[in-house]
Amino acid sequence: MKRIPKPVFFIVAILILLFSYSAIFGVSYYVGDNKETVVKGITDIRWGTDIRGGVEATFEPDDGYNATDSQLDSAKSIIETRMVSSGITDYELYADYNTDRIIVRFPWKEDEKDFDVEAAIEEISSTAELTFRPGNSYANTKIGSDGDYVYQTPTGDTKTVLMNGSAVKKAQAGIDSSSQSSSKSNYVVSLELNDKGTKTFADITKKYVNQVVSIWMDDIMLSAPTIQEEITAGKAQISGDFTAEEATSLAEKINAGALPFKLKTASYGSVSATLGENSLVAMAYAGIIAIVLISIFMIIMYRLPGVIAVIALCGQMGITVAAISGYFPVFNSFTMTLPGIAGLILSIGMGVDANVITSERIIEEMRSGRTLDGALDRGTKSSLSAIIDGNMTIIIVAIILLLVFGPFNVLSFIFGQSTTGTIYSFGYTLLMGVISNFIMGVGLSRVMLRAVAGYKFARHKWLFGGVKDGE
Amino acid sequence: MASNFKKKTLEEKLVVRGKKPKDFIGNKKIFFGISIAVILIGIVCNFIFGTTLDIQFTGGSMLKYSYSGDLNDTKLKSLVQEETPDNIVTFSDSKDLVNNKNMLTVQFSGTTTISTDLQKSITTSIQKEFPKNNFKLEQSSSVDATMGFSFLLKCIVAVAIAGLLMVLYVTLRFKKIGGLSAGVFGLVALFHDIAIIYFFYVIFRMPIDSSFMAVALMILGYSLNDTVVVYDRVREERKNLGYKADIKDVFNLAATKVMRRTIITSITTIAAVVTVYIVAIIFNLDSVKAFALPMIVGLVSGCYSSLCIAGPLWVMWKKREKKEKASEK
Repeated sequence: MKRIPKPVFFIVAILILLFSYSAIFGVSYYVGDNKETVVKGITDIRWGTDIRGGVEATFEPDDGYNATDSQLDSAKSIIETRMVSSGITDYELYADYNTDRIIVRFPWKEDEKDFDVEAAIEEISSTAELTFRPGNSYANTKIGSDGDYVYQTPTGDTKTVLMNGSAVKKAQAGIDSSSQSSSKSNYVVSLELNDKGTKTFADITKKYVNQVVSIWMDDIMLSAPTIQEEITAGKAQISGDFTAEEATSLAEKINAGALPFKLKTASYGSVSATLGENSLVAMAYAGIIAIVLISIFMIIMYRLPGVIAVIALCGQMGITVAAISGYFPVFNSFTMTLPGIAGLILSIGMGVDANVITSERIIEEMRSGRTLDGALDRGTKSSLSAIIDGNMTIIIVAIILLLVFGPFNVLSFIFGQSTTGTIYSFGYTLLMGVISNFIMGVGLSRVMLRAVAGYKFARHKWLFGGVKDGE
Repeated sequence: MASNFKKKTLEEKLVVRGKKPKDFIGNKKIFFGISIAVILIGIVCNFIFGTTLDIQFTGGSMLKYSYSGDLNDTKLKSLVQEETPDNIVTFSDSKDLVNNKNMLTVQFSGTTTISTDLQKSITTSIQKEFPKNNFKLEQSSSVDATMGFSFLLKCIVAVAIAGLLMVLYVTLRFKKIGGLSAGVFGLVALFHDIAIIYFFYVIFRMPIDSSFMAVALMILGYSLNDTVVVYDRVREERKNLGYKADIKDVFNLAATKVMRRTIITSITTIAAVVTVYIVAIIFNLDSVKAFALPMIVGLVSGCYSSLCIAGPLWVMWKKREKKEKASEK
């Protein structure tokens, strides 16, 4: 059989353990009281509202109003603005265009004990108030989830309301064709006013020409354009250094102030922070006890291959946790829910199985009278097809679930978008778990097994689960 | 390498650790009997109790409070009922051992959501009326009926697609042992396991919710892997024993050889899930309890079904196929 240099065993084992340690516990240091996270660990995982506690709500237009896609986007942008203004950054927000629904989930903020759920839901879904105000003075600035500044609370002159959203007919993002400059950006938002609004707007633009009139949603300033001239035709254009996305987002928000329907809460749910905290502690206990039990059992059953199996399982856990926590910058962090934990348990079961199948095969070959090397060789080879076929079928299941319940949403033409995201979490952890099982349970644990067999101390059949030499 | 060994007779090959292989096929009537009995009990219970779907699927509302100390139940019930005269309200109690708190679940009849105003006024009036009990809203859930139903349908469609693709994969990979029939009986084993979990929910009157879906999907994967591992061994032993050997002997030998692995893997996985279950009991986490217990049942069923249901069915099918071929000649 092909020999693998024996020090490879220790190199691989140490690398796996180091990686798993950093993936599970994370790497961070303190600058004064601020924690600087270098590598994200298990504590940085974003837990779903069903585990950590939080609010989930679904909104739909009241009275069965049939909203267009762009109206729904506007309604969604209202919720987005409100989440930012209440300081909630790690929310999930979806619009389902087929059933006209908007789904939002957000966890509790840290140290939040008394949170008025009902008020929060009411506030998020209340009709947006769009206002035009003179000047652009504000009290606070915040940094939104996208890293941009958010200007909050009008002060001074800006407290006066000149005109509100009911004057707006529609707003649309577009490219300014009249613009002479071929410079970088000529995205604009064109604003169209209704009859009553046209008159008010003419008065405003006359009075404030060459001054700033800012546009606000609720408490947040959306834009602060300077009036260039008196506008009497009821059509205006807001230009600035917009990117295409910024222009679309601004148009959506302005439209939101002129939506012809109210949002109704179709469903909502909440889990209190204390209950959520309990679940996290419980999960931690269960996880640690289960891993210790599995490790003891594997080592008693299979001795040296058992030790290798435990190292490989640690590695598998490490990769899976890394794929969830956002350890690798290319993968976004992922929201972990209860079904996600089911996926994790199954993938660990698969990892145990891969090692059990191999170790059992080696014992079987030794019993049929082969030498240690022969048994290792035959055992690892003949067990491979079972492990690969088993894992491949699981991968098929996981991919189907990801396609159906994930962002690709292949069944959306029947069921609409993102009916629920929890099953997606199952598919994701399962897929990551099985892929890491291929790397660890199938790949590296075999490398370690062959490498360690090169050491003299390890050359006893007993260590591999066989009977004692000479018996 | 094999040339060094003396060529063994078929009789000599049919030995596992010096013993004859276990007779899985001979005992198939017992196995089928057990499964059919469990399923029948489930069906009977299903008729008597009916299936309870969680409000996630049917729509409806639920509030859960924690409180301390003793409580005047009847007073509380009439208080809540007064707030919402249109709904019939039911109550259930449980205890949180870790924090030494009592939990009260209030369930509203009907399949619509209660308004946030109602939820708020119920909470405030309970807190006002029972100030000593420290009532706190821990969990609330309110779902619209149409949303829940489409989620249920979507799950079923997803499982159906996954099942079909799996049959396709097994058909292609296990051509040597009659792939299609192997795949179909693998699927039968999957249905068997999902039926067992479903009837477990019915018999213990647990509502079917999204954790049922998670458990069903997990067991689907687990049982599938188990069946594939058994088929893999059958494929290998068939090659070893030669194609003239009786398919019954081939399966018995393969199943006996694979049994140790099946048991050890199952014990390990079940031990992990039992740990989760015990911890969930201690912390009184209903959602986790409701998901770990059926998972344990499913794990047992999953490893049982591949050895005792899928395999024997497949052997019966192969024997019939052979007989038909023989009679055609």
